[in-house]
Amino acid sequence: MTGFPKGASLPSGVTVDVFAAAFEASPTPMVVTDPRRGDNPVVWANAAFLTLTGYDREELYGHNCRRLQGPLTDAGVLQTMRAALRAGRPFEGELLNYRKDGTPFWNGMTINPVRDAAGEVVFFFSAQADMTDKHRLELAMRDANDALEREVNERTADLRSALEQKTALLHEVDHRVKNNLQVISSLMLLKARRTPEGEARDALQAMADRIGALSTAHRMLYSEGDVSRFDFQEFTTDLIADLAAGLDEDRIRIETETEALALSAAMAAPLALLIHELATNALRHAFPGERRGRVSIEARRCEAGMRLVIQDDGVGMASAPPDPAGFGRTLVEMVVRQLRGSLEWADAGPGTRIVITIPLTGADAP
Amino acid sequence: MAAVTEAPLRILVVEDEVLIALELECLLEDLGHVSVGVAGCAADAIALGRTARPDVALVDIHLVDGPTGVEVARALSGDPRVTVVFMTANAKRIPPDFAGALGVIAKPYSERAVAGVLDYVAQRRAGRTPSVATLDGFQPAPDAGGGPWTGGSWKREAP
Repeated sequence: MTGFPKGASLPSGVTVDVFAAAFEASPTPMVVTDPRRGDNPVVWANAAFLTLTGYDREELYGHNCRRLQGPLTDAGVLQTMRAALRAGRPFEGELLNYRKDGTPFWNGMTINPVRDAAGEVVFFFSAQADMTDKHRLELAMRDANDALEREVNERTADLRSALEQKTALLHEVDHRVKNNLQVISSLMLLKARRTPEGEARDALQAMADRIGALSTAHRMLYSEGDVSRFDFQEFTTDLIADLAAGLDEDRIRIETETEALALSAAMAAPLALLIHELATNALRHAFPGERRGRVSIEARRCEAGMRLVIQDDGVGMASAPPDPAGFGRTLVEMVVRQLRGSLEWADAGPGTRIVITIPLTGADAP
Repeated sequence: MAAVTEAPLRILVVEDEVLIALELECLLEDLGHVSVGVAGCAADAIALGRTARPDVALVDIHLVDGPTGVEVARALSGDPRVTVVFMTANAKRIPPDFAGALGVIAKPYSERAVAGVLDYVAQRRAGRTPSVATLDGFQPAPDAGGGPWTGGSWKREAP
């Protein structure tokens, strides 16, 4: 031996024997091998190493550490380790090794070359640790994670299927409502067709028209993704287009001027009835004979909510023949009450002007 | 109601609700068209389509034998002389290619919507290119200029 490079000098009394005793007593498993002898055999191991591996000193000394390896020892890690040792580089890693009794354990290790003064590798020193518990923990953690992920996936699938069912149900109900409205409307119109001209027929036709207005409301609902709101502007345009279809446009015009408003779906049916009733009333009574004129429907936001103005330049309330049943007017007043609104009939000179104020809460129109 | 300026159309009504079918026939008559018959199931509809030689078939999706209106549309529109128009409250069932149909009238429909669409069909059959812009409650098929079908969306195109 040519001697070793000097590091920090040892205080007096700390001899090699002291180190040998300290290493022997250390709880960290340690082993030294000698690469200058064939096959790099173990030349020293401490008590902790013997405890870890289950071998006696005689069974290890003179043998290569591969004695600890077994069928599941990772060949890739071994290759990395051997390459490092051949090149005289340190190695740090974990191997699945086997005790003498055959039980495997995760063997964490650092291996460092020990060089002489000339720089030649004369020993390898390795400090080791049993990493089996850590591995078990990691494995348990991974299992727990996998289980958690599975559970999340299952729940997501459950929720998705619940949502699909809900959507399918909504479509089914929507379809049935629309179909039933169609049946009701057809029923009324059929009866109207078979009723002789007169009051009864007019009443049936008027009812069919009201159902038509409700149908327009329903057609607009659920049509654009958001099931809770409807586009008031488009809705009014559609509603009025139905009324305008029967008009002699040269004599009477009907016009709408509405702001873009996304209203709560619950308001669709009452608003449809309200606008239909007032506009129909104006068209029917404001322009007797060959009188010309226009009906306008305006809707704007106001401080209280929404202001709806239905105005005509016809003969005015005083001249219009009184409606004996007054059903239309009662209907309008009931609907306005349902919408918690207020209603004002006024003479517009010429014609009639009806102003309805409907309060809107945040839920009605965001 | 839109005036019929073209010759009356011969119309097949494919609808399983008898009340709707009966009323629709009355309406078609009012509009100056001719009903060539009513079919409530797929087989009757396809058979009538062959024998009654309609110009137009108004086809509901849900019939007595299930949602077979789509296959009825496909069979009837195989004859280029027949214009198929869906008439349904269940537009979600319509496939992206509309099964050969020209478009879909939404239920519940207004008389004006039916009149407008039939006028549009009559004009198309006469070789003109009428506008669909004023037709409420009607969605043309993508082939007929309705834009990509998103399954029951009635949103109007921005002007």
